[in-house]
Amino acid sequence: MFKVDSLEYSYPGNAKKAVDKLSFEVKDGEIYGLLGPSGAGKSTTQKILIKLIKDYKGAITYKDKPLRAYDNSFYEDIGVSFEMPISFSKLTAMENLDFFRRLYKRTVDVEPLMKRVGLWDDRDRKAGEYSKGMKIRLNFVRALINGPKVLFLDEPTNGIDPLNARIMKDMILEFKQAGGTVFLASHIMSDVDQLCDRVGFIINGRIHEEDTPRNLKLKYGKKVVTVEYRENGLLKSSEFSMDALKGEDFAKMVREKQIETIHSGETTLEEIFIKVTGVALHEQQA
Amino acid sequence: MNSRLRALIRGEFVRLNRYNLFAASFVVSLFYVLMASFIDDAMVLGVMPFIFLLDSTMMTSLLVGATLFYEKKEHTVNSIMVTPASSDEYVTAKLVTSIATSLFTVVFVSLALYALKGVTYKYAHVIFAAVAVTSLHTMIGVRIAYSAKNFTSMLIGFMLYVTVFMFPSVLAMTGVIGPKLADFLVILPLETSANLMRAGFGPGVEPWKIVFGYLYITALTLLLYFFAVKPRFAEYMMREMGV
Repeated sequence: MFKVDSLEYSYPGNAKKAVDKLSFEVKDGEIYGLLGPSGAGKSTTQKILIKLIKDYKGAITYKDKPLRAYDNSFYEDIGVSFEMPISFSKLTAMENLDFFRRLYKRTVDVEPLMKRVGLWDDRDRKAGEYSKGMKIRLNFVRALINGPKVLFLDEPTNGIDPLNARIMKDMILEFKQAGGTVFLASHIMSDVDQLCDRVGFIINGRIHEEDTPRNLKLKYGKKVVTVEYRENGLLKSSEFSMDALKGEDFAKMVREKQIETIHSGETTLEEIFIKVTGVALHEQQA
Repeated sequence: MNSRLRALIRGEFVRLNRYNLFAASFVVSLFYVLMASFIDDAMVLGVMPFIFLLDSTMMTSLLVGATLFYEKKEHTVNSIMVTPASSDEYVTAKLVTSIATSLFTVVFVSLALYALKGVTYKYAHVIFAAVAVTSLHTMIGVRIAYSAKNFTSMLIGFMLYVTVFMFPSVLAMTGVIGPKLADFLVILPLETSANLMRAGFGPGVEPWKIVFGYLYITALTLLLYFFAVKPRFAEYMMREMGV
């Protein structure tokens, strides 16, 4: 869908490259997550892909045609949900959507979308009266208003309660199942883990690691199983390598001990993120 | 006119209404009528060009600046620019809305003055002048608003513009600049705008100044659009995105 080759970009008046020889591919029908600490180049990359930044170096193709060759009809194909709440505060939610709907040739019925994200009952309230979470959900509906083929999502569940975040993630997965492609920029690792087919870790404008979340977990995780058990009233633990699981020692322990927990040594995307980027999540979220 | 431009223009009008900018403009028009109604009949024709000039210049720049200010504040311009709407259509929508608002003032005030005082003037001329002057000052308003960090700095920008470009005209009016040199003041946008407006109210303006004025203001509007508004739009967008 998108092929990015040796992409370079520096902001005017800034010698440091925001994006430096960046190469990756977003395949048709996949959810690709771009992860990285603040200032790593995620948003810049997204802005380039959605044609808001045009004076870049390198090659980008969309559907095998140079991105530069597309005119504004490109936007008929894509939907963008920015991280910050964006709406005309003195217009109602429906008036906001109606304004944007009129800018596209092809649009979808917003009622099911608004009902799904739980905004239908508040559709006639001014967007300025919405909470941050409601505004973000409205952003999301607006991104879907033209029935896009590609969705660009920047921290789509940031500031949203877990229930509504779950609904939005389900909608993103359904969008993918219907053939859509998603480019997700985020540092909420649970979202990335649940949604992305592949992820790329970007640091200083370059991708340092790229694979499926599963493969990354296998690569960075320990191939061990830790068993916690109770013995003489004391909590103890033993670690077994994956290869040792077929052996008698592990089987004996499971048979004879009072097992309380068994954990594999699979790592989390958060730990991989910290290892790869060298930046603790809590630092950049602060 | 394509459907996107229609949608953008419609959106501008809806927002002018909802953000009470249209109401503010209407109150100003009422104030114009009130002011004119207190002026002696013989003097009204001398004051009206100034009123319409004020509306097509300052009010236009402020109105377009205010809409951009709200869009900046609410980051909505980012969302508009990831739709099929182009920056040309975006600016054109602002231009059409400004012209329509200006014309509404001309028509409303003219009707009110006719009803109150039976005053008439060359309406077609005033309308053409309002369209030309408003077009130029929409571009000036957009350009000033691009650079303004907040509403106050936008107001300061407008005041600077008015002060710098009116100062030579004031010198001419007070006789500091002689009549021959004063002819060259037509290169000042405010002076030429004033000439075009005055031409609708009597024979005081030399014909060459009217012809020059329309050509000059049209050229200035286009130059501003192609060299100061359009090329800076991407930069303005980037800044609004927090870059």
